[in-house]
Amino acid sequence: MTKMKTKLKLGLSAAAFAMVVSVAGFTAPAGAAALKMMFQGDPYEIDAISDAAKRFEAANPGTTIELIHTPHDSYNEKVGAAVSAKQLPDILELDAPFLSNYVWSGFLQPIDSLIDKKLLDDMTPSNVAQGTYPPDKKLYATALIDSTVLIYASKKQLEAAKIRIPKGVDDAWTGEEFQAALKTLSTQPGVKWPIDLFRAYGTKTEWIPYGYEPLLVSAGCDLINRDTWKATGTFDSKACVDATTMMASWVKNGWVVPQSAGANQFYADGRPAALAWGGFWFYSEAAKALGDDLLALPLPKFGPKGASPNGTWIYAISKTSSDPQMAGKFLSFMIEDQKYQEAYKAHSAYPGLKSFGAASPLYAPGGPMAVAFEQAAKTAVPRPPHPAYPAITLAAQVALNNILDGADPQTELTKAAKAIDADIADNDGYPPFGKK
Amino acid sequence: MSSATQGQSGPTDKFPVIKFVSIAIISLVIVSPLFLLIVASLKPDRFQILAEMGSFKAFIVTNPTLKNYGDILTFSGNQPFARYLVNSVIVLTFTLLGGMLFNSMAAFVLAWGRLPGRAIILTLMIGLYIVPQESIVLPLLNIMNNLGLADSFAAQILPFWASPLYVFLLYQFFSQIPRDLYDAAVVDGASPFEIYWKVFLPISLPALATVAILLGIETWNQYLWPLLVTQSNYARPISVGIAGFFGADSIYWNLAMSASVVMMAPVLAFYLMFQKWFVSSVISSGVKG
Amino acid sequence: MLLPACIIISAFLLVPFVMSFPISLTNQRLIPRPYRFVGLDNYVQVLTDPVFWQALWNVTRFTAMVVPVQCGFALAMALLINQKIPGRNFFRGALFLPAITSMTVVCVIWGTLFQFPTGPLNQIVGFLTLGMAGPIDWLGDPRSSMPAIVLLSAWQAYGFQMVVYLAGLQNIPADLYEAARLDGASTWQRFRFVTLPGLRQTNIFVLIITTIQAFKLFTQINILTQGGPRDSTNTVVQYMYTVGFVGQKLGLASAVAIILFVIVLLISLVQRYVLRDRK
Repeated sequence: MTKMKTKLKLGLSAAAFAMVVSVAGFTAPAGAAALKMMFQGDPYEIDAISDAAKRFEAANPGTTIELIHTPHDSYNEKVGAAVSAKQLPDILELDAPFLSNYVWSGFLQPIDSLIDKKLLDDMTPSNVAQGTYPPDKKLYATALIDSTVLIYASKKQLEAAKIRIPKGVDDAWTGEEFQAALKTLSTQPGVKWPIDLFRAYGTKTEWIPYGYEPLLVSAGCDLINRDTWKATGTFDSKACVDATTMMASWVKNGWVVPQSAGANQFYADGRPAALAWGGFWFYSEAAKALGDDLLALPLPKFGPKGASPNGTWIYAISKTSSDPQMAGKFLSFMIEDQKYQEAYKAHSAYPGLKSFGAASPLYAPGGPMAVAFEQAAKTAVPRPPHPAYPAITLAAQVALNNILDGADPQTELTKAAKAIDADIADNDGYPPFGKK
Repeated sequence: MSSATQGQSGPTDKFPVIKFVSIAIISLVIVSPLFLLIVASLKPDRFQILAEMGSFKAFIVTNPTLKNYGDILTFSGNQPFARYLVNSVIVLTFTLLGGMLFNSMAAFVLAWGRLPGRAIILTLMIGLYIVPQESIVLPLLNIMNNLGLADSFAAQILPFWASPLYVFLLYQFFSQIPRDLYDAAVVDGASPFEIYWKVFLPISLPALATVAILLGIETWNQYLWPLLVTQSNYARPISVGIAGFFGADSIYWNLAMSASVVMMAPVLAFYLMFQKWFVSSVISSGVKG
Repeated sequence: MLLPACIIISAFLLVPFVMSFPISLTNQRLIPRPYRFVGLDNYVQVLTDPVFWQALWNVTRFTAMVVPVQCGFALAMALLINQKIPGRNFFRGALFLPAITSMTVVCVIWGTLFQFPTGPLNQIVGFLTLGMAGPIDWLGDPRSSMPAIVLLSAWQAYGFQMVVYLAGLQNIPADLYEAARLDGASTWQRFRFVTLPGLRQTNIFVLIITTIQAFKLFTQINILTQGGPRDSTNTVVQYMYTVGFVGQKLGLASAVAIILFVIVLLISLVQRYVLRDRK
């Protein structure tokens, strides 16, 4: 007891001292960095970016780069907080569909004249599209990479079930063919679910609007009318009701991996899921398990035209940047850095630069993922580039998720369309949008 | 139960074996989900972990290795795991020192200070505990920036030096201490601070241990606030650092799991250290005995 | 002596919270730009949204389930490990392990345990019922999702109440037990007439605090279900977080915070009144 009393008193006496020390000593780190960049990413990306920054510092004496890595799951919160606290870094990584919202809110600046001309010319059209703000047609962001979604399958399994294997984007499965394939696969031995739509990604990510919107677009509707910027009449139209009813029927038939079954059923023990409707990033996981048997197929056509998503994490420069020229210089340096590109290549990154695509055997013609590159050129549709995107994605996620969980499609879509339109009305139409 | 040992406020020793067996079984059941964590941390391949999740295979490892543990410590200079750990220890230590002092002082005054409007202050305390942290982080971030404390240790320590929860908890304990103890000290001419320091603190070890343990764990596992207030690795704690392993497109399960185990170890040691303070206090044996 | 705590709580808790009241009367966005006064519009919008009421009903359900389960189990465990048994410190450590596990990890673990249809929990259920009870989609079925969250939450958090009870038990004078023993009281009688009254203050604290914590349910929801399926696990804080951080409507989110505050404060006051000292 006495020992403890002494310990306790010692401890609490130290507290008084601690207060002085902690306030005096533990304030901000000394020496502010010249250039700050906020980003998210996998551990290998942190390394690639940090190393590129070091090389840039070595090549540009006097300039220091402070990297603010933020965990992926909390990135949008961090951006919101940084903006609201007026603590924006010079360079900011952001999820492409939010670009219009950020530009409209007035904290980004055009980068056309800030980055290398060479880099500018090297960007793929889809990459340019994801970084462009429609009202002024200026480029606000760039990146080495882009993205798309494909159908993954086992060659042997499709052959055994006598399902046609499309050779490219032009002969992609039609909607009927796709549904027939699901039905056939559901009777194949060992198949628990014909397809994984990655419902396990939940609504914390952009997956639902990103992965599922192309199906709606291909079926002849959209989350919002891209001319009038009204959701009512489009998102709740008959085409969308039919398309979502079709998706819900897959779930009802037991064809879709449930949300609570994880994201690994395509290659888990016994391969319970036959197909996977997955992002390009899924390739490396799947290839590891299936090897040569893995097939990457284009998304099916649910109407006369196919559609596929694009957009990924891209880099922009803030309006408050102390040195936009230097920020643009670093951005160009990093993206064109050889070792930086190597790191992404090693992780099957989807090219957003023509030169990078040509140098990636995976995506080059004849490569296992060549169809992905072809698909982006032919059918990519960006998510609605509108400042109301936060409201659009929120409403779309809730509605589509509820519909897949069995809610009435018409009711959910009407509610979502109204919520989107209400947000736009609340903001007086987000001028200059809606003033055509 | 022998009357010679401390801490036996509980009932008898009629069924020592049954008690032992039942507590052993309960503990095993309670702890069993955590085996999944340990087992996963010993698997070398993140794809293997992912493929085996969702069945009992998640509890079995055929090729155990400590490689992951080595990897997180040497992972890369850009995610300095050891630095995150040290940062968390710094935040924990200083939060605890101030937190125990200020919370207990306030609770002492509320319990014994004959304060006008005590009931109102108490209600306000409980009311403030209702406020979810998620709803105040943005204004708090602005306050910290204005104080010049962005990206600092102080920003992670200062706000947690006092909390309605612990003031309320200690108040409940202090107000149970028999009146004669306080009165006797007053008769002896002790000042309020002396009564607090020399009389109340020493007999409140169990309550102080509770605050230390709960505040310690809360501090250690804080996520949203340090996420928003730290920028560089300078003051970034382990809870935020570890989230880096839960990457964007693919989760580094092997590293995330072993890092999570390492993250738990210090708090466990910390808890075991403080739980020794759970001994019957002087109230039972000294005052009334 | 009260001053330091008052200053800290005022500066870092009271002031930020009070600041959210004026914000709740505007259409302020997360990303700052011109905004205007909208009166009570945000409150009307929240209170007429069926999803908000669903969320409120869900947390009420959650609270009603988790408070007795968690507090009861915590008290039982505190009584057990307060005894002189071999390896007591070991068991104290083991039983406290879930409480020191961060919520992210807890969600990874339980997400796996709950996995449908072949997850460990379903295999155990199948084994115990000889395969008669089919696999349960714990988190994916609106009927089982909230009970599953209750199970996970109670498992993770009971250590908190256990420690508080453990401390409370030390405050019960040992002589009372001695006296009861001399009077020939049974184990149950000693629990009923010595332990329970001795834990009065502790019980008040635990019940009020656990209720408040339950109403603030958020982290595990945000990681595991984001409120689904079909809003069956949506909670008020999840609703607020979604509106504020995802929908970027700061004014609306502030209104939710104020409404939550008022509701829970009323409940706490009723609780305190019911549990008040009748001396």
